[in-house]
Amino acid sequence: MNQPSQSNTSGGGGGFAQQPRQEMEYICADCGAKNEIKSREPIRCRECGHRIMYKKRTQRMVQFEAR
Amino acid sequence: MPGKADGRRRKPTFNTIEREESFKQPPKHASTYPILNEFVTPHIESFNALFDDSGLPKGDGDGKGLLSIALKDIGERVVFDGTGRIGTESGQAGWGNRLSIWIEEVSIAPPRVTDRDTWSTERRVYPSEARERLASYRSRMQAKVCWTINGDAHPDQCVMRDCGLIPIMVRSIRCNLRGLSSCELVRRHEEPEEFGGYFIINGNERIIRYLILPRRNHVISLLRPSFTNRGPSYTQYAVQIRCARPDQSSVTNTLHYLSNGSAMLRFSWRKQEYVIPIMLILKALISASDREIFEHVMMQDYENTFLTDRVELLLRSFKMYSLYTGDQCLEYLGDKFRVVLDMPEDWNNRILGAWLIQKMVLVHLDEPRDKFRMLVYMLRKLYALVSGSCSADNPDSPQHQEVLLPGYLYGMIIKERLEEVLNQVRNQIAADVRRAEPPPDFLDKRYLTKIIQKVNWDIGSRMSNFLATGNLISPSGLDLQQASGFTIVAEKLNWSRYISHFRCIHRGAFFAELKTTTVRKLLPEAWGFLCPVHTPDGTPCGLLNHLSRTCRIITTLLAVVHIPGLLAAHGMTQPFSSSVDGRENLCVQLDGRVIGWARPGIAKQLADNLRIWKTEGTHKVPLDLEIGFVPKSKGGQYPGLFLFSSRARMMRPVKFLANGKGDQVGSFEQVYMNIAVKTDEIEPGVTTHVEHAPTNFLSILANLTPFSDFNQSPRNIYQCQMAKQTMGTPSTAIQHRTDNKLYRLQTGQTPIVRPHLHNTYAMDAFPNGTNAVVAVISYTGYDMEDAMILNKSAHERGFAYGTIYKSQVIDLKDMRGSSRSNSATTLHFGLGHDIRMEEGDRQHTCVQFLDRDGLPYVGTKLDAGDPIAAYVDDTTGRTRFVRYKGDEQSIVDQVRLLGSDTGDTELQKIHITLRVTRSPVIGDKFSSRHGQKGVCSQKWPAVDMPFTESGLQPDVIINPHAFPSRMTIGMLVESLAGKSGAMHGLAQDATPFEFSEEDRAIDYFGDQLLAAGYNYYGNEPMYSGITGDEFAADIYIGVVYYQRLRHMVLDKFQVRTTGPVDALTRQPVKGRKRAGGIRFGEMERDALIAHGTSFLLQDRLMNCSDYSTAWVCRTCGSLISLGYDDVSLGEVSTTGAMRPAGPGGEYCRVCRSAEEGERARRALAAGQSTDRGPAPDVAVTIPAAHVLGSTRKGGDMDVVAVPYVFRYLCAELAAMGIAVALEVR
Repeated sequence: MNQPSQSNTSGGGGGFAQQPRQEMEYICADCGAKNEIKSREPIRCRECGHRIMYKKRTQRMVQFEAR
Repeated sequence: MPGKADGRRRKPTFNTIEREESFKQPPKHASTYPILNEFVTPHIESFNALFDDSGLPKGDGDGKGLLSIALKDIGERVVFDGTGRIGTESGQAGWGNRLSIWIEEVSIAPPRVTDRDTWSTERRVYPSEARERLASYRSRMQAKVCWTINGDAHPDQCVMRDCGLIPIMVRSIRCNLRGLSSCELVRRHEEPEEFGGYFIINGNERIIRYLILPRRNHVISLLRPSFTNRGPSYTQYAVQIRCARPDQSSVTNTLHYLSNGSAMLRFSWRKQEYVIPIMLILKALISASDREIFEHVMMQDYENTFLTDRVELLLRSFKMYSLYTGDQCLEYLGDKFRVVLDMPEDWNNRILGAWLIQKMVLVHLDEPRDKFRMLVYMLRKLYALVSGSCSADNPDSPQHQEVLLPGYLYGMIIKERLEEVLNQVRNQIAADVRRAEPPPDFLDKRYLTKIIQKVNWDIGSRMSNFLATGNLISPSGLDLQQASGFTIVAEKLNWSRYISHFRCIHRGAFFAELKTTTVRKLLPEAWGFLCPVHTPDGTPCGLLNHLSRTCRIITTLLAVVHIPGLLAAHGMTQPFSSSVDGRENLCVQLDGRVIGWARPGIAKQLADNLRIWKTEGTHKVPLDLEIGFVPKSKGGQYPGLFLFSSRARMMRPVKFLANGKGDQVGSFEQVYMNIAVKTDEIEPGVTTHVEHAPTNFLSILANLTPFSDFNQSPRNIYQCQMAKQTMGTPSTAIQHRTDNKLYRLQTGQTPIVRPHLHNTYAMDAFPNGTNAVVAVISYTGYDMEDAMILNKSAHERGFAYGTIYKSQVIDLKDMRGSSRSNSATTLHFGLGHDIRMEEGDRQHTCVQFLDRDGLPYVGTKLDAGDPIAAYVDDTTGRTRFVRYKGDEQSIVDQVRLLGSDTGDTELQKIHITLRVTRSPVIGDKFSSRHGQKGVCSQKWPAVDMPFTESGLQPDVIINPHAFPSRMTIGMLVESLAGKSGAMHGLAQDATPFEFSEEDRAIDYFGDQLLAAGYNYYGNEPMYSGITGDEFAADIYIGVVYYQRLRHMVLDKFQVRTTGPVDALTRQPVKGRKRAGGIRFGEMERDALIAHGTSFLLQDRLMNCSDYSTAWVCRTCGSLISLGYDDVSLGEVSTTGAMRPAGPGGEYCRVCRSAEEGERARRALAAGQSTDRGPAPDVAVTIPAAHVLGSTRKGGDMDVVAVPYVFRYLCAELAAMGIAVALEVR
């Protein structure tokens, strides 16, 4: 199987403009390494090959009214 | 008394420092709480027993696992290719080549990533990944299939076959967490106290529940009137034995007594029941002569005419079969069962008969001679039962029960599936032979490999299905009484509930629907094995029990081959002795095998000797051997010396008084023993044993109720239930959990008053409640009827503050528009081009919630309807949203991106943890640990709360009326103990049965209170918070541990004024989720009628429900015959007469057609032709609305208010040809 190359071939079809491949940073659930995964790339840790990623907490200000 | 001002340092009793240390640095080479690993051993070791390398003691066997033994039992399947010529050696029926095929071995590996995954550095898969990815924790199973042709074995004739992925029990021998220390467990994202014993199926933790079964290899006598329905001459008497094979599968044999004195043996094969005359079996087994049988049954008791009569009848009645030798009997059996058994065609009837007996009759014994002796014993017991010299046994008593362990059931199912697959392979080949195009070539390995590949070997998915649903799909029924309800989810609601799952034991789904309540009874035989307190009330009461704290279930094999010899050396008569007097001798049995006979005195001596030997470890007698000596009695249980060494028995530790050593006691022998609960109860010469602790008969949860011996017993039952509904600390690895719903108490505390077992069972690692200052006073009226008042300031300080974690899974595979094939996905998480990201007025609103990847920002607050994920559809190019459902605000706590098994696919599935804050509100439920639950009725401002002389205000006020009728004195004592413990900094021991009348708890804690400067009895003068006046009475105030229960108003409230209605009836829908109403039912209606409140009745049942107006015809009374004339432009009539109609042109179609029919008939009678004649005058009307002063309402029609369902009813009745007429006045 040519898994590593599969992500390149399966990118958006249907004649629509290619999505801008924005990188997002996630955290591996096993080793805690930061992983930059573009959209439509396989979910896999570059360090350990683990299959679960956590989304990082937002950088935006989170403010609630404490009641 | 600690805490005196003499400068001595007080030893802390809460172990706070040690606990914190163990939280920070979990032990590297052991587990923090070893007892937790102990109490799930039956789960884990029964699973381990499946494998050859289980590491369990071998006992007498060769250490083979249950799967290997099962494969041996399955044996081989045989097919012939039909090429042989008739009459030749290769088969007189033209069988041809004989292919026999069998499964040599199965192997199950620990869970690993697939080989296609080349990038993972960690090849092992851990349970936490299965949990987080909502997958199953399973591993590959392989079977080695071998075959021979005409008996020529060749090493090449075998093939490995993949059996799919089979779920693995966590922390079993095949689990990657096996034997890990607490420290390593934490590294693997588990809790330090993780003990396993469950399976992970689709992210859920599921366990196979213990089930009560009849004790194996022991004959019980039954008296059931329903047996008479089995056929003519059947009576209510029978004896029954559940025989277990070495692979733990079992067969039940029942011996029925017939009214003609003979007996029939019953067994079931593939859910079909068969009965065989016992004589046939007795003869077939050892070719016994009639005399031999007579002597064996009589045992020299020739004066017993009852017995001689029956044995004579037994022998005489068998004469009609004309079968005299053993071989004749076997051939007869084989002939009758040939079709049913479906065994190789070349087996003759004799082999078939022998095979049937070996497979179905007393399967726990191998030797025919042993089976014969046991059958004769059963026959003697049956006759004793009929004659009344012994009583029937109670199958509901734990004395005659054992436990179905998860691993054994699992093994049985695997065995059956393998057998099924092997049969399918055989049938496939046989079908090919029959079709013979082209005729299969047995010598061709490719053909056989192809056939083996063709058959579905996916046992893994079957097992996953079994665990996920709890449904047993089995051709034989596995000798069990139920086919579903074997598995349950181990909910991690809180620690108490979680650990209770692993100790619960069910009587069987079959008994749940039984009308009689005898099975639910708490029997004295259950003492020490099943907890008398810990059972739910309601439907499962008494059927769902919990094991007592110290109750063990034997999972290891014991070495007992030498026991018969040992007993024979000490006076037991050997079983083959021909001159045993049945009146004078008792039968000695070991695991359902007759090993000899002994006189009652000697039998008693043997039992005593064995007990001394086993406690002292001499003569290699294993400690877990059960020595059930049933003495002779008049009409009591059938006497004998019964030894049990089998697995799945319940046993418990006690102290043997004779030598002061520890002993293990089983549920069979306990009935005939004298075990003192406390040392002062020992009666010399009578008592042989004493309990290690008087609380050992309670389950873990019942043990944790403080001072439970002071309470009325139902209150302790309630507490056991409520402890399991408490909002507590479900897990310490909460960030790695994906449960549907988790309840968490933010401000958990260790209770000041707790039994010493609190520490043993890691309760401090998972706190379940809060210590509250409780005043027992009727203060504002808001504490009536079990309501409690919460101090508003305590609430604001975080008293009982809780959180709910909810899971939401978004799987693009399940979305509309996803492609079926998994190669090219059409849906992708993310924001498409149609979403404006840049800030400004035209920015899409979803950008507030969603990140560039289409996933929500971690930490955002969500309201109902907010987007929580976005995905782009490739086919339309548009972005679609998944929205947050639920009426509460929640916060995105975690977003998990879940990859596939191999980690080679793009993001298709996410898991979002949502956090809902639940601060206590009015209507939330709380409870102390004494079954005293109540609802918060007010959060009372601190300024208005009553206060003591020291200025202390209670956190909680409860009403004094909660005590007199419920008699929960334990709560009063806890209050005292809590108060003194809080003042002195002591963790108070609340173990039950520690105090007595001489040494009273009141005195002990009263003295402590006195030392702390309080009133001895716990009362204090208090002042009203409103007026400042001192109360006339002193108020009982102390510290009680309060639990917050998970039942909260926010999940329950249901209210509506208007809302959705049912489409058919137009009545309000039901159900909280759909914003429905609460039914105002018949009985409520009755009440309103009785009160004469007709306006209210009208309001509830009409106006607020399906009020509607309808046109009704005054003439015919019909509701359903409304018709309309289009009168908006006026009406043209050709007949001259204007037809009556309402303002909108309403008319009654029934009446009009009747009228027109009448007119036509009259015209016909008058000789006029209807279609001919001069053109009539044309009359024109203008719409009624345009006519001034027109008060006429409309023909004969009238408007009435009726419930809409009534109109619907009329329509339905009309469809049946029933007219409903209304009389309008």
